[in-house]
Amino acid sequence: MFSQGLSLEQAPPISVVLRFFLSVPVFGIFFSLLLIIYPLEILTPNHPISLSAIHLFFLGVISMSMIGSLFQMQSVLGGRPIPSVLGNSLVIHTFFTAGLASLVSAFFFHIPAMFVIAAVLLGSSLVFLVQLILPLLFGGVVHDTLRGMRLALISLLITALFGVVMAVSFANETFGNLHAAIRTAHYSWGLIGWVAALIIAVAFQVIEMFYVTTPYGAWCKRNAFRILALSLILKTSWLFLALPYLWVFDLFVAVLLIGFVITTILRLRERKRRVGDVSIWFWTMGMGLLLISLISYSAYLWNWSASLETVAIISFGLFSLAIILGMMTKIVPFLVWFHLSSSGYLETPIMSTIIPAKRNKTLFALFTISSLFALVSVFKLLLLPVAGVGFFLLFALLGYNLIRAVRLYTHIQKTGTRFVMNANSIA
Amino acid sequence: MILEFMRDDHRTCDHLYTDAENALAAKNTEEAKRLFGEFYRATNHHFDMEERELFITFEKRTGMVGGPTQMMRFEHQQLRTQLEAMLKALNENKFDDFFGIGESMMIMLQQHNMKEEQMLYPMIDRALDGDAQLMVQTLKEMVS
Repeated sequence: MFSQGLSLEQAPPISVVLRFFLSVPVFGIFFSLLLIIYPLEILTPNHPISLSAIHLFFLGVISMSMIGSLFQMQSVLGGRPIPSVLGNSLVIHTFFTAGLASLVSAFFFHIPAMFVIAAVLLGSSLVFLVQLILPLLFGGVVHDTLRGMRLALISLLITALFGVVMAVSFANETFGNLHAAIRTAHYSWGLIGWVAALIIAVAFQVIEMFYVTTPYGAWCKRNAFRILALSLILKTSWLFLALPYLWVFDLFVAVLLIGFVITTILRLRERKRRVGDVSIWFWTMGMGLLLISLISYSAYLWNWSASLETVAIISFGLFSLAIILGMMTKIVPFLVWFHLSSSGYLETPIMSTIIPAKRNKTLFALFTISSLFALVSVFKLLLLPVAGVGFFLLFALLGYNLIRAVRLYTHIQKTGTRFVMNANSIA
Repeated sequence: MILEFMRDDHRTCDHLYTDAENALAAKNTEEAKRLFGEFYRATNHHFDMEERELFITFEKRTGMVGGPTQMMRFEHQQLRTQLEAMLKALNENKFDDFFGIGESMMIMLQQHNMKEEQMLYPMIDRALDGDAQLMVQTLKEMVS
């Protein structure tokens, strides 16, 4: 009864998480290049190059980081270890990366057959990921963050399944009557069920504990994921049954997310821990961008202006990027420190020397400037390449930070002196 | 019962640490040293409550020896090392070192607390069942 599957293992090997993180700047740089070279196509809805960029961003940058983080989160919050975590993460990463490369190539070079390869590789990697982690989240102690992780993984699975159906349509170049409904369901489950739900689940833990704030309300924590799930299920049903008043469900989600934004900003403003930290800037900026996204989307529901929809999508993407960058500025140095320290290396550096605060501040400045140009570019196309240059520099700096951290880790592993201490030695 | 009591104690420790960190950031060194001393004592007392009473009782009830409680002991040891390093840095007025070590200590401490609050304490509550109240009383009476 009590021992069923419980493990409080410290963490998976560092390579499990860093493999995903190191891929992020690579895809981010490709994404930036598209912004620089093809600004007009990027801002043309449903243009193949626009779809390439969207998938490079939401799969290559956002989901890649989130999957890496999930492997770490499972060890802390999930309660049961992921079996054969090294091998399984390698398989998932390889298939996911190859699948994404195929998908982007299929859109960019217009090669219908590549959609089939992308569907097989991406679909299998995501189904494999979900079947690997999701069962571990059931059967033990339940808490609010776990509920969010469950919804996120189920949503990822649904997003992937709709994605596979669409990839087959693109491969055959025949689009049925339900194509528009499938497309809307695909991005709704992806953006709200997968991205937003996982970020909210993380916020419920991280904001209160890391920044020492008052907790989110118990009712909100308990019901946020139920409301999100119910809204998505009803929206999908309405879509496929072609029923009227579909926007009501979007409005439900928008109201819930606005509540989340306001609560989070208030918590951060009233936090007890006042010492400055770039991750707080990223969280605050992320909340501001989410608010812009929600207001733009609500206005779009009112007057159906394509520009407002584009602003909503861009600011939602930037919101998720802000949170991911903010968390990475903490997670990466912590993981390097933690794995070296746990292995007993006497030369283990402190976190602030692994990624110096100055470089994190530069990362934030680049993010702020690039975001501003990206948002304004919806109305002034010429500014999109400028945003692209900003994002290029941002991802280059992120890559530099990650590589420096990894090199420091491997250097100390090779040359450091170890003081061995393990769990069994503590009586 | 155990969850609420121990979670509140975690938060008390967090607030003490935050007060010390804020005082040092405001260059109020003596106050920071006093507050960090309080945090140091409170955190070590929390670990002692777990290691001397709570974990032992849980292990006897469930027969789970060498499992999660052992891992928590290991993490206590890692955290104690961090606390010692911070105390040393503070006493030697090496404030950059204090903040640097504090950053990793805080993340590690919060990860540790998450594991306990999300998994271990609910399990202990179930294992102790009707005796949880008595255990809370015992923990309250432990001298820090």
